Amino acid sequence: MWILPLLGLLAGAVIGSTLTYEVPPTYIKYMSIAVLASLDSVLGGVRALLKNDFDSTVLLSGFFTNALLAALLAYLGDRLGVDLYLAAVFVFGVRLFQNLANIRHSLLSQLRNNKQVK
Amino acid sequence: MKQKWYLTITVVFLLMGILLSLQFRAQESFASGLTMQRTENLIAMVRDLSNKRQKLSFEILDLTERLTAQKQAERDDKQLVSNIANEMDKLNIITGATELIGPGLTITIDRYMPILYIDIINIVNELWAAGAEAISINDQRITANSAIFYAENSNNVFLTVNNHKIEYPVVIMAIGDAANLEKGLTIPGGIMDNLALFGAYPVLEKKDEITVVARNDTPHFYFLKEYKPEEKSSSENKPAANNQILKD
Repeated sequence: MWILPLLGLLAGAVIGSTLTYEVPPTYIKYMSIAVLASLDSVLGGVRALLKNDFDSTVLLSGFFTNALLAALLAYLGDRLGVDLYLAAVFVFGVRLFQNLANIRHSLLSQLRNNKQVK
Repeated sequence: MKQKWYLTITVVFLLMGILLSLQFRAQESFASGLTMQRTENLIAMVRDLSNKRQKLSFEILDLTERLTAQKQAERDDKQLVSNIANEMDKLNIITGATELIGPGLTITIDRYMPILYIDIINIVNELWAAGAEAISINDQRITANSAIFYAENSNNVFLTVNNHKIEYPVVIMAIGDAANLEKGLTIPGGIMDNLALFGAYPVLEKKDEITVVARNDTPHFYFLKEYKPEEKSSSENKPAANNQILKD
């Protein structure tokens, strides 16, 4: 059941590496923030799935808005001379680890439940 | 519902993959760019490159030097060839190997005039003395080896030049300053006066363009050898070498 999403990830990686487009060096910073934000959203989605309160609209909207907003905020911070970039990194980093921890907990509890059922 | 979350997750993962690989590549190229290099590395690179550049500029210098040297040598060669050609032309003129054109004087002597070969010699000598540059008698060029003489058979006496029989009318052509040449001959007490005593009146004619023929036979030398003095110092070396080449 996890094969399709994993295939999607692989296909995305392949597409991304075959694309001739290259991100301009000035936007690499914002791009990295966007990637971090979307990574966080994806992990959040996975966590929701495991907790059985998954909502695809929430995931999709979160994926795009988080990425765009994070990049925009970082850009704005650069314009204003404030390192909002760091704030975004911090927030998304913390959430990422929390999501990961939640995923781990869910997986572990699922595993234990399965054992008890057996 | 199940269908839906599968699709969403897959799409999101796909986008995630694209984003990740794009970012990966961009970051990689950015990190390998010059701005991300460590200072020591940059210094080393600069030193390396400037060394290389210096070497290359030395090479350029060297090569241009060689190029100019080559060009110089070529120019020298050309100069030498043209010098030799010029010298050759001059020598051809002097030895009578070529036909010549120029202003000058013609002296026509007819059959009825009582003229001997010695008079012809006198006329020619006078013409040389008056500044003639080239002289021919009918179709015979007067060169350094020319002889003017006479020959006779049982009936007649002929004038000869270079051992060729000269037919009448004898036309002596001399290239030079026509006025000077004429004066040289007609000076009072000169050759024309002398000849007039014997009733010979050669016809002098100044012309703007006369043609002096080339000699018909090349001289052959069997006995003579060039005399070369011993070379004494390096300062005398050069002209000697030059002469050598010219004579070759």
